[in-house]
Amino acid sequence: MLLPLAQANPVGGLNLQFDPPVPWSSAWGPTFWMALVGVPVTIILLYFLKLRRKPVQVPSTFLWKRSMEDLHVNSLFQRLRRNLLLFLQLMAVLLVMLALLGPQMKGSTRVGQRYVIALDTSASMSATDVRPNRLDEAKARALELVDSMGSNDLAMVIAFAESARVVSTYTGNKAQLRDRIASVRPARSGTSLRDALEVAAGLANPSKQFGEGEIASEVQPPRLMIYTDGGFPDVEGFSLGNLIPEIVVLGEPPSEAQSTPGTTAEEASDPGVPPSNNVAILALQTARNEERPDQIQLFGRVRNYRDEPAEAVARLLRHELDQPIGEGRLIDAIEVSLPARGARSFKFDLPDPGPVGLEVRLDLQDDLEQDNHAYAAIGRPRQARVLVVTSGNRYLLNAMTTATAGDAAEVVEIRPDDLETDDIRRALLAGLYDLIVFDRVAPAEPPVGNALYLGAMPPGEAFDQARLVEAPIVLDWDIGHPMLQYVRDLPLVLIREARVVDPPPGSTTLIESDKGPLAFITPRDGYSDAVVGFSIYGEERALNTDWHTKLSFPVFLYNTLRFLGNVEEGLGDQVQRPGQPVVLRAAPTADAITIDPPQGPPSDVGRSDLGTFVYNNATEPGLYRLSWGSGDAIERSVFAVNLFDPRESNLAPRGVPPEGVTGREAEPYLIKIGYTEVAGTRTSRPARLDRWWWLAMAALGFVLVEWYVYNRRVYI
Amino acid sequence: MSTATPSPLLDPEFLTKLEQLELISRKIFVGRMKGERRSRRRGSSVEFADHRNYSVGDDLRHIDWNVYGRLDKLFLKLFLEEEDLHFYTLVDTSLSMDFGDPTKLHYAKQVAAALSFIGLVNHDRIVLDSFSSALEPGLSSVRGRSQMWRVVQYLDQLQAHGGSDLTAATRSFAIKHPGKGIVVVISDFMDKRGYEDALRYLLARDMDIYVVQVLSREEVEPELTGDLRLVDCEDDDEAEITVSAPLIKRYKETLDAYVGGFREWCTRRGISHIFTTNHAPFDKLILNYLRERGLVK
Repeated sequence: MLLPLAQANPVGGLNLQFDPPVPWSSAWGPTFWMALVGVPVTIILLYFLKLRRKPVQVPSTFLWKRSMEDLHVNSLFQRLRRNLLLFLQLMAVLLVMLALLGPQMKGSTRVGQRYVIALDTSASMSATDVRPNRLDEAKARALELVDSMGSNDLAMVIAFAESARVVSTYTGNKAQLRDRIASVRPARSGTSLRDALEVAAGLANPSKQFGEGEIASEVQPPRLMIYTDGGFPDVEGFSLGNLIPEIVVLGEPPSEAQSTPGTTAEEASDPGVPPSNNVAILALQTARNEERPDQIQLFGRVRNYRDEPAEAVARLLRHELDQPIGEGRLIDAIEVSLPARGARSFKFDLPDPGPVGLEVRLDLQDDLEQDNHAYAAIGRPRQARVLVVTSGNRYLLNAMTTATAGDAAEVVEIRPDDLETDDIRRALLAGLYDLIVFDRVAPAEPPVGNALYLGAMPPGEAFDQARLVEAPIVLDWDIGHPMLQYVRDLPLVLIREARVVDPPPGSTTLIESDKGPLAFITPRDGYSDAVVGFSIYGEERALNTDWHTKLSFPVFLYNTLRFLGNVEEGLGDQVQRPGQPVVLRAAPTADAITIDPPQGPPSDVGRSDLGTFVYNNATEPGLYRLSWGSGDAIERSVFAVNLFDPRESNLAPRGVPPEGVTGREAEPYLIKIGYTEVAGTRTSRPARLDRWWWLAMAALGFVLVEWYVYNRRVYI
Repeated sequence: MSTATPSPLLDPEFLTKLEQLELISRKIFVGRMKGERRSRRRGSSVEFADHRNYSVGDDLRHIDWNVYGRLDKLFLKLFLEEEDLHFYTLVDTSLSMDFGDPTKLHYAKQVAAALSFIGLVNHDRIVLDSFSSALEPGLSSVRGRSQMWRVVQYLDQLQAHGGSDLTAATRSFAIKHPGKGIVVVISDFMDKRGYEDALRYLLARDMDIYVVQVLSREEVEPELTGDLRLVDCEDDDEAEITVSAPLIKRYKETLDAYVGGFREWCTRRGISHIFTTNHAPFDKLILNYLRERGLVK
């Protein structure tokens, strides 16, 4: 039966035609199979020829012959017995052959299966409703799958949370897969299945991959095994292509199923969300008390996901910056009583503590520990030091010394002639000023610090091509840029003449006119140069523009002060989420800052080309201490990373319709990927085990039985 | 086949044991020289022993005419006979005796030496013969323990060779030794031609016959496995067997039946049959077993 089916394939092995056809390549050539077929034939021949009788000398064959004669009466048995051995040997050989052919036997379903194992490592996977936690359970399931993989099967492993990471590329090496799966650590961030799907789809076609020497067929669609708790939004507008998704849902199912699962977590009490054993802090903000500026207020919101009311004590802890973040010192506590599946706000008032880290901790036991903590950082308000070089530009000076701007910056005015004095030159080279504003004048060499040029070009070849244009009309401006925040009335600005130049590579154009870019910002050695091609005054103190009469002028200057002057309000105004890069500012003289994360050793971060410090390892929620040298002193600051994600805090697993819900009613429970609805399973079906293994075991068993019959002379 | 280094046929300790023994005969002879024991054989001595029915061919001189006159039936008068004991030993030296560890031949030599020694010590006439395919020249008529060295020397030079033909050997033996006496045949009695004819020649001589059947342990408990071609060492006869539990069982049954049949055949004819293996201590055989059977006392 085998040979007619067999065809030589180009690889040199065999292609066995099955329905559906499954290309299959074997390392064994046709010669091998012919030789294998020869084995049973040889055995039968040997039996007929009795070639294997060993001559043994005995004193006399007299009694043996008599015994044989007696047995000849029983010759049927004798023949049977001989046939038994033959039968056993033939069976053993046959089974070995089947074992060698084994992969084809199950080829229609499992030849060279490709698996993409996607492990959800998001914050909610750390929930302990499944012991020890959901992620460990997922890893155990994935290991089961790896164990059940056949020898031709390949698998790749993706760990995904906010972003997806390829843990292991396609490989059939089970030991490597086990190691890699075991090495997956929980992330503290949110979930984005889309990211994982994109990575999986990109790598799903293994024929594109030349990495680990596996040539895979394109016919076999990879199976995407997603081990998750369903805590992510439906993925829309994504085509799975040839991926066959299978979602294994982990976590305790909600106790009751009368409610539809909440795919969106509402802020207020929402009976649509299935209950889960979790109480979470979902927001924490700091603000200065409007009436009493020396007071700081902390606003927070706590949500109860349980089906019963909960009482929790929120404790406010203070972490000093000059020592590693530890337990903290209790400074306040408040009792929060939460209705079933409801949310409550809380507020702490405290005198301005200076630069310090604050932590709000909920004291209660639930399934997810991470969201029982929230962090806030209070820094020291920092004033920018600004040097304005102008020949009496009154409007400019007025705009930079308003009450609000005065709080943010300390402005020093000098004349252009003063640039040549030694004091100023030394100060510029030492980087004493965060921002230097050059009004219609350019220094001989760039200063150490950020600079704003008005009606002048910075020194350097790139700006030599500047040309004078007349009456440019503002066409567009970058409203997303921080320097142009709240700037709205630029089209109304009239400009007599301006200098324009093609911005050097890496620049961002801020204001575009019909004659060319009127304003742009360009990096320089870790600092930034902002260039505005016109100033208030032109030649001979003639007014060049009416910008100073527009609201946008002081707003622009204030934004510039804040953006280029490294001003900090010190109240953690921007929310940092785990896993996202954190952009930090420090004194202009510091080349590197030291960041001490809540876990792990401190690390140094250098100044980027944009003059900021970008920290990419803020993966853990918590307080991150910063320190940098400023002159002889060491300055300290802190920033907080929080995951305020209602979806992660909602531990009710999604993806499995409750029992008895089928058809269209079950649709809301399903996870949608693109236009495909995927029903999750609670139990991952282990893949069928290799059958050739069993055949080989059976063959071994037959050989053992044969050996026993042969040697132990058993009676049939 | 024989790998054992031949131990000295008789060690001194064993010799002292043997000295305490004495051959007896179940028959009493009247010898040309005065013997030291009585034969149970009825003979022509002066001492009356018994009567028996006349049968055709009996010597008319021994008919008890007085009884005939009284009972009108013919009876013979039997007399106890007293004579020298001729002690014959016939050792099988065919190739089949060369098996086992120690070889069956070595064992047979030891038994023969021991019996001869006992005979010599008791002033019997010792005749040693050996045979393989035919009777071979032996050691005849030694007497007195001083001749023991000749016995040992003779036995030492015996080598296993050739096939065995018990019938031819006993026929020659019977012709060569017309006298009566005790004959001990030491062999494995694995002769395809059978033992019956052979022993009949000896029976016809009216001898007191003992057969010692020596088998090696390998023959009693064969340890063969697999598909084998058994080759007979004497005539190169082949038997193809596939060893299996039933076959081994069958072989043992055949062996038991053969030995049992042989024993029964012997017992019916007044022949003492002694079965031993080459692993049974031969001194035990001499001291206990043969004594039980009346060969030594």
